[in-house]
Amino acid sequence: MPPPSAPLTPGLASFLKSLKINPIDTSIDNLISLLKRRQIRHSRSCATATAYLLRSVISACRTSDASKLIERVQSVGRRLIAAQPREMVVGNIVRRVLGLIRDEAEDDRDGDFSLSEAGSESLPQTPRAGDDLSESLYGRHDGSASKPLSSLAAHPISMFSLLSQPESENSLPGSPASASPSGRLPAHPQNKDIRAEVLDGINEIIDELGQVDDQIAAYALDHIHSNEIILTHTSSTTVQKFLLKAAAKRKFTVIHAESYPNNHEATHATVSGTAPNDDELLSTESFQKPLIAHGITVILIPDSAVFALMSRVNKVILGTHSVLANGGLVASAGTRVIARAAKVHQTPVVVVSGVYKLSPVYPFDFDSLIEYGDSSKVIGYEDGDLVEQIDVQNPLYDYVPAELVDLYITNLGGHAPSYLYRIVSDHYRKEDINF
Amino acid sequence: MAPKKGGSAKPRGNATEEVEETLQAVVLADTFETRFEPFTLDKPRCLLPLANTPLIEYTFEFLANAGVEEVFLYGGAHSDQLESYINGSKWRAPSSPFRQFTFLKSTSTSVGDVMRDLDGKHLITGDFLVVSGDVISNLPIEGALAKHRARRQADKNAIMTMILREAGNNHRTKASSVSPVFIVDPTKDRCLHYEEIDHHSSESSRLNIDAEIITTFSEIDIRQDLIDCNIDICTPDVLSLWSDSFDYQTPRKQFLYGVLKDYELNGKTIHTHIIEDHYVARVRNLKAYDAVSKDIIARWAYPLCPDTNLLPGHNYELRKGTLYQEQDVTLARSCVVGRRTVIGQGTSIGDKTTVKDTVLGRNCKIGKNVTLEGAYIWDNVVVGDGTTVRQAIIADGVVVGNKCAIEPGSLLSFGVKIADGVIVSEGRRITKAPREEDDSTASDPDIVGEGGEGYEYVPYDDEDDDETASNASSGLIYNMANLSLSTESISTLSSEISDYRGSRSGSFATSLSDDEEHDTHFVQDAAASVFDSLRDGVSTDVVQLELVSLRMTANASDHDVRRAVASAFMKHAAQLMEAGQGAGEVVSDIFGKYHEIIERALFDRDSAVKTDQVDFLLLLQQDLVHRNRGETVLLFAAKELYELEVIEEEAFEQWWADERSKNTEELQKVRSQTLQFIDWLANAEEEESSEESDDEE
Repeated sequence: MPPPSAPLTPGLASFLKSLKINPIDTSIDNLISLLKRRQIRHSRSCATATAYLLRSVISACRTSDASKLIERVQSVGRRLIAAQPREMVVGNIVRRVLGLIRDEAEDDRDGDFSLSEAGSESLPQTPRAGDDLSESLYGRHDGSASKPLSSLAAHPISMFSLLSQPESENSLPGSPASASPSGRLPAHPQNKDIRAEVLDGINEIIDELGQVDDQIAAYALDHIHSNEIILTHTSSTTVQKFLLKAAAKRKFTVIHAESYPNNHEATHATVSGTAPNDDELLSTESFQKPLIAHGITVILIPDSAVFALMSRVNKVILGTHSVLANGGLVASAGTRVIARAAKVHQTPVVVVSGVYKLSPVYPFDFDSLIEYGDSSKVIGYEDGDLVEQIDVQNPLYDYVPAELVDLYITNLGGHAPSYLYRIVSDHYRKEDINF
Repeated sequence: MAPKKGGSAKPRGNATEEVEETLQAVVLADTFETRFEPFTLDKPRCLLPLANTPLIEYTFEFLANAGVEEVFLYGGAHSDQLESYINGSKWRAPSSPFRQFTFLKSTSTSVGDVMRDLDGKHLITGDFLVVSGDVISNLPIEGALAKHRARRQADKNAIMTMILREAGNNHRTKASSVSPVFIVDPTKDRCLHYEEIDHHSSESSRLNIDAEIITTFSEIDIRQDLIDCNIDICTPDVLSLWSDSFDYQTPRKQFLYGVLKDYELNGKTIHTHIIEDHYVARVRNLKAYDAVSKDIIARWAYPLCPDTNLLPGHNYELRKGTLYQEQDVTLARSCVVGRRTVIGQGTSIGDKTTVKDTVLGRNCKIGKNVTLEGAYIWDNVVVGDGTTVRQAIIADGVVVGNKCAIEPGSLLSFGVKIADGVIVSEGRRITKAPREEDDSTASDPDIVGEGGEGYEYVPYDDEDDDETASNASSGLIYNMANLSLSTESISTLSSEISDYRGSRSGSFATSLSDDEEHDTHFVQDAAASVFDSLRDGVSTDVVQLELVSLRMTANASDHDVRRAVASAFMKHAAQLMEAGQGAGEVVSDIFGKYHEIIERALFDRDSAVKTDQVDFLLLLQQDLVHRNRGETVLLFAAKELYELEVIEEEAFEQWWADERSKNTEELQKVRSQTLQFIDWLANAEEEESSEESDDEE
């Protein structure tokens, strides 16, 4: 999996490589310091690293007692989140894994029930979303157990079916009554190895992380039409793949804002196709032909020209750093300006994002979600007089409120911002939201 | 991925095993400087907190970031404290990014000693980094390293790459008193010449570039706009070079300069890697401490910011207005916390207090109506009501009473107590550490008020004022630190040394030597070396050994040796006298201890014409022309040398009669007092001869 020659500077690749040889505690500390040093950045890398780490954590656990596994994952997760609270995907992946364990545990408990076959539409993700507010966060590992659960392990693609389930099933109000408490978890010592199944689940998450861009890109033709003018921003691979997919069939024009100063080099490279993609990304397929090679006109503009050009733009397609439960998003600095400009011109704003970026966190204080970066990107550090006298702030992210976004496209399809809470509740168990 | 692959693939193509070699780093925890006194009396310098994180943490972060796997840490002063800190830190934990972490204690007194010690231990196997324990950088080093390796592949003699940061003309993080000047061949990034310009000495505002450099290279850059933070990528050859020339003390002024100068001799080249982005700085003195703190708070060194929480247990969060705050901070409702402030856990701030541009450590208690501006306050400090602190550093456990004023530039060291209503005037350094002279810690009520604890710390070299003291620190050279500011009459070694080619007038080196230019350098080197040894009280044998080897390498004449010795002895004597000792005492002390050195430079004991001894006396005399109370010193020196039988009577007579000793008025003046000695000598001789004649009779 890791490339054959790890680069000298530690990063995702070297972390994954070392994961196999190092003891687990070392790996945890290792990832924490990588996150702190910002050597692993960007949502995908963080998510991948977290997923691999948790897989090792679970396989290193000598117990198949679900509550112990949960405790362990929680404690690791808390440390990871504390290391870099603004990479919200870390928390998302931890929550997903916690959810997996809980599902397996409950599944186990109901193991006697007949397992429904793959594709059964009576999947019961919903009940656990019941508004049983009195449910304590840690004390009880119960919730949705009363309905027969399809074992995730029973069919290997169950993770996807789990994710895509809400799509097929639109009426989902879980009845609170279904969340009736039942017996305690570790009541079945003879149960099959929970761990193996959780590990399978994590592998599916990892697979999902690898495929998510292609899955999103599959929706491209529905949203990009011939001769449209699309405005985008940053060098997000998700967006690029999305556009490339459409470019295979249709001709359109892309206006690309360069997102100075934090991402302009990567953006230039993406547009011109000169440099390979962001080295943080694992995929070897990052060597892809740029849009221009497909005969698409790409116009690179400075960020300041966005408003002036917005009147000609048919659609704005944005990548994101993470998506919040209220439908707002945290994305590269400059996104909010674009979204606002689009609002003024009534241009639709489409955000493409993997479900893994969707965080159950509600942004009460969105200032705290914004990372401030290297001041020297704004003014050169060599300019001594300015350094002395000016306070420079370089926010890496913008918070874009939900009302500025028209549509989210995830690997599950398109959703309105107001609908995201549903997906959140499908993916994260309530008791894990503030684990 | 590809550029990195490309970088590491290059050496791989040529020599497979070299890719596998681990990157080693040598961290010099002690840089052998006194810039952080009085704090360094109690704590090693690299454990001093910068924005509430010990300095050394930043350095290790840098190394971890650079992918270093083996670290050798050289402790200096207080190495026990450092060791226990390191042992408790995450760098020794199994999760440490360093596979091997070696703590080396040494008794070294200079960077040169450390390097030679390291060479003796044979620990270094491949390319390694040398950094001091106060480097703060977010630079990924791989680019420089790849270039270094490629260069070394092409040419074995490319032994070192220095990493330099471009920084314009005025920059707060640049050393202000001494500007390093690099002369670089930009086509090959090769450093051709290095010099330091000392802004405090008026005479060294010139560069001396070898004409050969200008004629040989079609393109050269002369750069003074670089921050040099002593991050060097070295090959093991560097260590053997250090060992070969064991008078080198400092990595730049002596080693770099020396190696570049001797290019013809050893053919080694040193290269530069000049970076235009990323943050690189060194906390070389208190001024840099202030500047780097500001840089870190303003996120220039991102991701090395307080909210990165480098230390486990820290939980800083960034708030609006560049305010970093840990949990459990108590802020009174009416207090005003301004921009660029860091507040540690457990700290409380009272009503109507204003805080701005300030770093507050953990568990501090700040009273009411306090004004803190530009202050660096470490842990567990109590500041009373109504007190004002501006641009001062207050160390752990200090208690400042009510209604005090701590004025800019003040340094309050560990545990000092300032009584109510005291005004600590500008630039005072107050400490509680035992005094050097008598180990007492008696408090000085004039300074800290009745009931206070602490006394004013006076650095041993008695610098005029703190402002210059903290500015004057070139940071590079420990032994030059105390020489940079003194009265005019003491022609300081530092100016002699910067006087490389002897082309300037005024300094004594030139007034003596209009002859062979290349010897001047030897004289400076040797004088510096001997002077250091004298000051440090090194034994005669060692001094002699160094002197001989220096002489051998420079192929210097005996005359030069004597010149160096005379200059060093007199310089040392002048220094001791400055410190208040009497001339006679000083002279007898030095000559008594080190007369052998002089004896070994004189080879005319058996001949009738004592040219060497006369020469030495002349040199002494000439040197003393420039010094305070030169007459007295000469008298005592003559007497002492006579008594020690270093110089014989005949020599004195010949000297006295020699034209060269009375050429000028100044020389006449200097030797005036020695007249009595010569007279006495003549009398004694008469007596002696009469005795002898008695015997004969």
